[in-house]
Amino acid sequence: MDSVRRTLLKASLWVGGGLILGFSLPAKSATLLGAATPGPSRDEAAVTAWVRITPDNQVRLIVSQAEMGQGITTTLPAILADELGADWFRVQLETAPFSNTATAYRNPARSWMFTGNSESIESFYDLMRKTGAAAREMLTRAAAARWGVPASTCSVKGSAVIHPVSGRRLTFGEVATDAARLPIPEKPTLRASSELRLTGKSLPRVDVPPKVDGSAIFGIDFSVPGMLIGAVRTPPTIGGRIRSFDEATVRSKPGVLAVVPVLNGVAVVADTYWQARTALAAAAFDFDPGPNADLGTPAVRAAYRKALDDGPWATPVNEGDAQKALAAAANTIGSDYESPFAAHVTMEPMNCTALVTADKCEIWAPTQGQELAFVALKSVLGMRDDQISVNRTPYLGGGFGRRLLPDFVIQAALVSKAVGKPVKLIWDREEDMRRDWYRPATMVRLTAALEKDGLPAALATRVVSPTILLPVFPPVETMLKEKGFDPGAMEGMMKTPYALLNRRVDFHLLKTPIPTSVMRTTGYGPNIFALESFIDELAHSARIDPYQYRRRLLRKNPRALAVLDRAAILGEWGRPLPKGRGRGFAFTDAFGTLLAQVIEVHVEGSDVRVEHITSVVDCGRVLDPDIAASNIEGGAVFGLAYCKAELTFRDGRAEQENLNSYELPYLAETPRFRTEFINGAAKLGGIGEVSPITVPPALANAIFAASGRRIRSMPLSRHGLRFV
Amino acid sequence: MIMDLNVNGKTLPVEVDPDTPLLWVLREQLALTGTKFGCGIAACGACTVHVDGQAVRSCLFPVSLAVGKRITTIEGLSSRQSHPLQQAWIAEQVPQCGYCQPGMLMSAAALLAAHPQPTDAQIDEAITNICRCGTYPRVRRAIHRAARTGKG
Repeated sequence: MDSVRRTLLKASLWVGGGLILGFSLPAKSATLLGAATPGPSRDEAAVTAWVRITPDNQVRLIVSQAEMGQGITTTLPAILADELGADWFRVQLETAPFSNTATAYRNPARSWMFTGNSESIESFYDLMRKTGAAAREMLTRAAAARWGVPASTCSVKGSAVIHPVSGRRLTFGEVATDAARLPIPEKPTLRASSELRLTGKSLPRVDVPPKVDGSAIFGIDFSVPGMLIGAVRTPPTIGGRIRSFDEATVRSKPGVLAVVPVLNGVAVVADTYWQARTALAAAAFDFDPGPNADLGTPAVRAAYRKALDDGPWATPVNEGDAQKALAAAANTIGSDYESPFAAHVTMEPMNCTALVTADKCEIWAPTQGQELAFVALKSVLGMRDDQISVNRTPYLGGGFGRRLLPDFVIQAALVSKAVGKPVKLIWDREEDMRRDWYRPATMVRLTAALEKDGLPAALATRVVSPTILLPVFPPVETMLKEKGFDPGAMEGMMKTPYALLNRRVDFHLLKTPIPTSVMRTTGYGPNIFALESFIDELAHSARIDPYQYRRRLLRKNPRALAVLDRAAILGEWGRPLPKGRGRGFAFTDAFGTLLAQVIEVHVEGSDVRVEHITSVVDCGRVLDPDIAASNIEGGAVFGLAYCKAELTFRDGRAEQENLNSYELPYLAETPRFRTEFINGAAKLGGIGEVSPITVPPALANAIFAASGRRIRSMPLSRHGLRFV
Repeated sequence: MIMDLNVNGKTLPVEVDPDTPLLWVLREQLALTGTKFGCGIAACGACTVHVDGQAVRSCLFPVSLAVGKRITTIEGLSSRQSHPLQQAWIAEQVPQCGYCQPGMLMSAAALLAAHPQPTDAQIDEAITNICRCGTYPRVRRAIHRAARTGKG
């Protein structure tokens, strides 16, 4: 596949951001309908599993991946439509279902249906081209047979097959039924790069028009006939339970139809959400705080620190002999870094619509994890494969990893089962934050032996973190038991782009009752915060410019050097700044993408003003420059949130349960952005999560440059600093 | 209790408890689901609508206070996405997940009504809605674009 792609690619530098915009209005675009039926409906011919065409030439493409803001609903079907020769602005899109008869939409690299790990493009690119090309060949052969001409004399344009010599034309719809009877070609011929029209340029996003007039349907907006609404309450503490509650009061409230115990909580089902929520709020609850009633942030941090000092350790990386080099070194330097617990806070709180009867379970959820939900439902409900279908609502109000978990889906299913009717269960924000699977805090200790030239001869790394992968990828349990480390929590440390001959990485799997799992940047975020801050410290200790220091460590990596050099130019690295201002540099190789960032700050007393964030990205060929830029720039704001907000615990519960205390960045605090892509020939990489990774270290390094204060833990509020 | 609400230019009777937040009346009684539930404490702005032209956070706004006033939701901001802000939002491709965007647009529309040519400082002050995807730079650009091109 690389050879195919390479012939398509021309290395060039491409300027992103808003410069190329100006879509004609009203914007024409493909339309996203809703969840597809598991197989084609009666009026559709399924040419492949991904392409359904009606006789009146309505071309419907299936979108396997969840749209949660990353723009995948535009880019992925555009790759397919480009190969197919469909009229993009008239295609309709449907979200892929998951059931035992609809498994074609799994991620082909993992045989598992999910949206995450920044890998949708990387994993599906070849499949989209291949399935589009296959459908094109089948439609062409069907038309050629109708005309009695060789297929090679036909071509495809605007959702029709044409025979240029005779001027004849058949729409896809006219030949779709014939085409669907043909075998699907194993190795269809892909189009030449010169024929590709939809990839490589900025398309108007499919999801934008319905998102500016309120018509986009998120999970919370979804409805089915006869649906009831549920609100839920679980104990505020982690691991708590409800001893008793005033059920009579709840039942006496208007609109209340049922009160359902569900797992560790209670759900109230009513005609409307407001009624259900009001009824729950009216009742007195007696909670048993459970075994973690004493859980609090100071003790949790002490446990981390003890583990950081004492281990025990798993050692997944041991290259060269770092311990020997460190023991022999005349000059060593070490620092500890800490990242806080963080909550996902998708703007749309968790919710799910379920219909569970004696022999059937149908789900409509804003989920990233259709197959994990399917597997979990099968087990919880004791049903067979053929009794369960998990549909995705058209839009997800943010995901960030939270919606990979099936907990809210299971809860809705159990409530529906109890009342025997379709139920939409909606969490309030407090429930959403209490019952999150947080990004765990981590502590990282880095120790380097320095050569005379100031470069590291050895690097020893200790990482203390709970698991993040286990809740979303149960097979990792064996690895945790046998090898003692979580590869997700080790991201950014297992491999490094830097030239380091002696490198040892120790990992301590911290046990904590606090639920933890994946969140945008996964292990890369906390680990690269530590590593890139430490590189900055090493550079200053060696009295070498931090950008130049990284250049030396990457001297054998021309691709990385190109990214670094461009970021330095675009970020005005080295240009003198007035007192109180400074720039910080950070670099990462994550999710298959290289990114260098320069952040410029103004520090005045306790006020930190982020002035500019410059990002230079090499994710291979850029399939949609504007969508890519939005991921990088929005991602940087997400990265700022990791520097601003912190989740703490006291008396067994999260201290921040809503947005008045968990303080996310505001528009007023948002810097200016400069974003560029090296539109190069490298393998396609992910862009959804890479930008938030480098923001905390680049910011900390900038604050050091501006003020001389070294920030080794986040958020900034721990250091008496605040964003302005 | 039955109340007449003037929503998007139409008078609509609703039968709800007068303490019910306007948000849930819009969403559940009138099926206007463009207005979103985000926090329930008026901290995020996803539920922003106009009451007599003023931006209000409808999750804490009792429906009884809206009786006799003009209520405008995202569905009533314009017909066919023709409001200069909606046009600017499309031109700048602002939304990502999109969940906060109706509230963001309603806040921006109230800003432009008061300040047709807002400064950056006025945008900073008026747009305190939370966007988790970080669309803020495009929100700012789109507001300036709408101020240039239309009569907000």
